[in-house]
Amino acid sequence: MQSLLVNHYIILATILFTIGVLGVLIRRNAIIVFMCIELMLNAVNLLLVTFSAMHNEAGGQVFVFFIMAVAAAEVAVGLAILVMIYRNVRSVDINRLNRIRW
Amino acid sequence: MSTPADYLPIAMMFVVASGFVLFTIFVTHLLGPRRKTEVKLEPFECGIESQENARMPFSIKYFLVAILFVLFDVEIIFMYPWAVNFKDMGMFGFVEMLIFLSLFLVGFTYIIRRGALKWE
Amino acid sequence: MTLPIFYILAMLSVFCALMVVVARKPVHSVLYLIACFFTIAGHYLMLNAQFLFAVHIIVYAGAIMVLFLFVIMLLNLNLESEPRKSVIARVAAVSTAGLLFLVLLAAVKSAEPVILDTSASGVGLVRHVGLKLYNEYMMPFEVSALLFLTAMVGAVKLGRKEATHS
Repeated sequence: MQSLLVNHYIILATILFTIGVLGVLIRRNAIIVFMCIELMLNAVNLLLVTFSAMHNEAGGQVFVFFIMAVAAAEVAVGLAILVMIYRNVRSVDINRLNRIRW
Repeated sequence: MSTPADYLPIAMMFVVASGFVLFTIFVTHLLGPRRKTEVKLEPFECGIESQENARMPFSIKYFLVAILFVLFDVEIIFMYPWAVNFKDMGMFGFVEMLIFLSLFLVGFTYIIRRGALKWE
Repeated sequence: MTLPIFYILAMLSVFCALMVVVARKPVHSVLYLIACFFTIAGHYLMLNAQFLFAVHIIVYAGAIMVLFLFVIMLLNLNLESEPRKSVIARVAAVSTAGLLFLVLLAAVKSAEPVILDTSASGVGLVRHVGLKLYNEYMMPFEVSALLFLTAMVGAVKLGRKEATHS
């Protein structure tokens, strides 16, 4: 019987990352673009945890922990900015956000 | 030491719990009588008449509280591994956490001073 | 034993991730992303990262995605149908993503297979991750508090500006 390889997880993380890139490129709703960035972060997290398990080393998991903390701060400020943009422009369509001025 | 197999009971519990919910929803649709009068189809809101679309826009004040919740939520999560290792790390870990928390306290006083949590 | 579980979880992850991109309504996208995060949490459990499993569910599914849902409700985007990008832009996006995938896959292909040992290991337990975090990674830990301080100030500034206007 075939056993679970590290390569399986690398390919899975690659697929998830690519889907995130695709979402960023193809969608126009800024919130969904933001969510796809979260997806990409998670793909990288999965990879780090895989290598942490491979080397039996907790360092990678600490990194993932920090990425999660940074993601939380990033989402908090990013969504606040998005809400402000919506209040001023009445839209979160990134094609219409190309001329944000003060 | 623990292996993924140790979590099998939890996974089984999830399967049984969601299976029960799906089962009951499905069976009540199958067995229950169908009376589709207007009153029956109305959403139930504890006897109060329903007002408008459930997804109506609401005040931005809730949003600020939600953002601050996320930030302090992560702070608390940082304290779990610290609490588990509290005795091993002794004074060093304590001072470390004190610096961390004092920085958060600065932010907290800022939030209070700015009246961000005030609910007029 | 672990390989079938991996395949099931991986298929669910990829399916949910694709639905995030494909779904028309933003609320559906958020719900699919939450489902995707739960499957990724399942992967963490398989990789013996029990602490990260809990943190992932609490932070991502419990806090971040709720915030996303909140914003979508706040902006009342559920009825607004999002206009699509032009055909050329979409073709370009898909081909760019496809090429990126091929490049990454080509890089992985030359790697020799390593068997992943998912048997008993205490690496992912709260105790071990915590020891590493509070000894070796002490500096990033303290700096992250500064980051949160900035995030708090930024969020309060951005959130309060509206109230002073009206």
